[in-house]
Amino acid sequence: MTDDARAGAARPSPSRARADRALAYLLLAPACVLLMGLIAYPLLRAVWLSVHDVRLLQLGTATYVGAAQYLASWADPVFWTSVRQTVIWTVGIVGAQLVFGMCGALLLNKPFRGRAFWRGVALIPWASSSVLVAMMWLWLLDSNYGVLNDVLRRLGLLHTAFAWLAEPATALPAVMLAAVWQGTPFFAVMLLAGLQAIPEDLYEAARIDGGGGWAAFRYVTLPLLRPTILITTMLRTMWIANYMDLTFVMTGGGPGVATLTVPLYAYFAAYKRLAIGAGAAVAMQLAVALAGAVLIYMRLLGSVEAVE
Amino acid sequence: MVRQRGASWCARLLGVLLVVAVSGWLGVMPGTAQAPTTVVNYWLWLDDPTDPMFPALIKEFNDTHPGITVQPQVIPLAQFHDKLVTAISAGSGPDVSRFKDWWLGEFVQAGALEPLSSYIAHWNGRADVIQNLWNTGRISPTGLVYMMPHQFITFYMYYRKDWFQQAGVQPPRTFDEFVAAAKKFTDPSHNRYGFGLRGGDGGQDQWLAFMVAGGARMVDPLGHVVINSPKAVAVNQWYIDLYRTQKVAPPSAPSDAYAQVLGAFEGGITAMFAHHVGSSVLVTGKLGASAVGVVPIPVADPKAPATMATMAGNVMLRESGHKAAAWTFLSWLTERGAMDEWSRSRQGQLPVLTSLASSSFYQTNVFFTTSFDEAKYAITWPGLPGVGYVSAALWQQVMQQALLGQISSQQMLDRIATALESK
Repeated sequence: MTDDARAGAARPSPSRARADRALAYLLLAPACVLLMGLIAYPLLRAVWLSVHDVRLLQLGTATYVGAAQYLASWADPVFWTSVRQTVIWTVGIVGAQLVFGMCGALLLNKPFRGRAFWRGVALIPWASSSVLVAMMWLWLLDSNYGVLNDVLRRLGLLHTAFAWLAEPATALPAVMLAAVWQGTPFFAVMLLAGLQAIPEDLYEAARIDGGGGWAAFRYVTLPLLRPTILITTMLRTMWIANYMDLTFVMTGGGPGVATLTVPLYAYFAAYKRLAIGAGAAVAMQLAVALAGAVLIYMRLLGSVEAVE
Repeated sequence: MVRQRGASWCARLLGVLLVVAVSGWLGVMPGTAQAPTTVVNYWLWLDDPTDPMFPALIKEFNDTHPGITVQPQVIPLAQFHDKLVTAISAGSGPDVSRFKDWWLGEFVQAGALEPLSSYIAHWNGRADVIQNLWNTGRISPTGLVYMMPHQFITFYMYYRKDWFQQAGVQPPRTFDEFVAAAKKFTDPSHNRYGFGLRGGDGGQDQWLAFMVAGGARMVDPLGHVVINSPKAVAVNQWYIDLYRTQKVAPPSAPSDAYAQVLGAFEGGITAMFAHHVGSSVLVTGKLGASAVGVVPIPVADPKAPATMATMAGNVMLRESGHKAAAWTFLSWLTERGAMDEWSRSRQGQLPVLTSLASSSFYQTNVFFTTSFDEAKYAITWPGLPGVGYVSAALWQQVMQQALLGQISSQQMLDRIATALESK
């Protein structure tokens, strides 16, 4: 049998091909319905809410207001304070988690006695609920009974009680510290998985070429970990920008607006002022900003894959 | 063979389904099984969710009312408002809900609550309710009642009786005496302060108690917002200065919530703090009854005493499909037996019935008697739609900014007034 004849025998008839295509769409339909219901509908609904003046207890009486609620948020200086603090919050936490996570991953990748145990222990902060973490840090930072003040007093660095969460200058860094503590294990575990995938031969080759520890890290570890670092950093950026649990419990956005971030600003508008339309307008702006971050991530990932 | 086995299984399955269907049908036939029961969904928060009082109370109601089954859902107070608002918006709210007077204005404006006045008019227990307290369920003094009074508190002041006796200081009755006493007990070098000011979560009630005690009012008799009047601005400045210039409050005051204020008093850091009867068991248990005293909130003018009262009542949702059963349960909660059980429990707030308030259990306890005395002149949050937002978010933000010197007393009260006036 010639190749042409074989190909002709393998090609399905037009009616069979149509049936296959229909079956494929049928099998994809449940996933499509789920995606539409769980992602597309809420997104479109949020867009609709953001251009309507809607009160939470009176959803039936919506008035179309166009971009008015977006413009109103821009006219509010507290909104811009929350934007600035969201940037500091996100960059600060993700950056610190990356650095400490890398240190943790490098340590946990070294062979030492009880390594499996310590790898498990290192995950405890990540496995703890946000409210629990918030309550724990509230008491650690308490001006009267907190461990931090007690240690500083014993070292002679502090003479009166210092209220870390009541001072605008220290409140945001204090809550960020709690978030860094909680999220570092995630980075450590992700990077550790990446480190374990790097072949030992490459380190051997680096040693043969006369490279020391820093050179091995700079020219072997970092380049090969780059995709893991990128994906983890971008995922954490999106999560941390949206993350308001710790701030909500520890400071409620205060003192004043010193720890107010955009998600908390949107939450107060939607659930405390009951202006869910105004809340949606703020949330949409955060969503667009994060969509931008996703695009950057996809480009970076594309460039990494192209290099590989 | 396989086909026969399959047919046999199908027959058995059909048989089981038939039995289930028939038994279900028999179950709703009169006289053949239990009578149909109306389910009343009740949402509430409990200060102590582990208190066995509440399950026992629900069981008692269900046992004594065969046609009604109350299904309670306990939700923490911190999430209660959000969950109730969301559920009502989605059309899945409860029939009856525990409710704060803070939220009355916004829910009534949205038409979410059923007026109770016509039910109350035919209710035998209405004469026993302390007359002044019906107003806590109205949004205007002559309007319809939307919330059934249930448990209330008035703000008074706890003080360290042992410290005051040792220092020969009388418990303060006026603003001037209060500041003098607070200064006397303030010594930052020993981490001691005169007053536990609560600038963080939930501090709005304490603040309002001092505001009205100083002569300020949220609204005038015609219902106009006057919280940013010159008088109110001056009283608010006096309150801010307790932290800023008098420095009689701990450095953590701007962010202190209940746990911190209570902990500072129990830990011997503060000499006074303002709260209600709900803390009496905790502080006397920790410090001993002889070390703890209680006085009404000090006032600017002893001839015009005032403090803040807040009510936790019960409401019926307008969308309820079981209004008669809902009313039966809702009114039963305010009847003498159920109310006494609730007030004596770990939830421990003030009963709203005259007959209970005058009974020996409440009249021999100084924390209850001080509260009842204050109830005669206590003032509640007004029934304005903006109160929910002010009490849940805005007050804390602007109070903290004022305590930190970022905004003035006038600016703080202007923002509160604007929120109260908004529709």
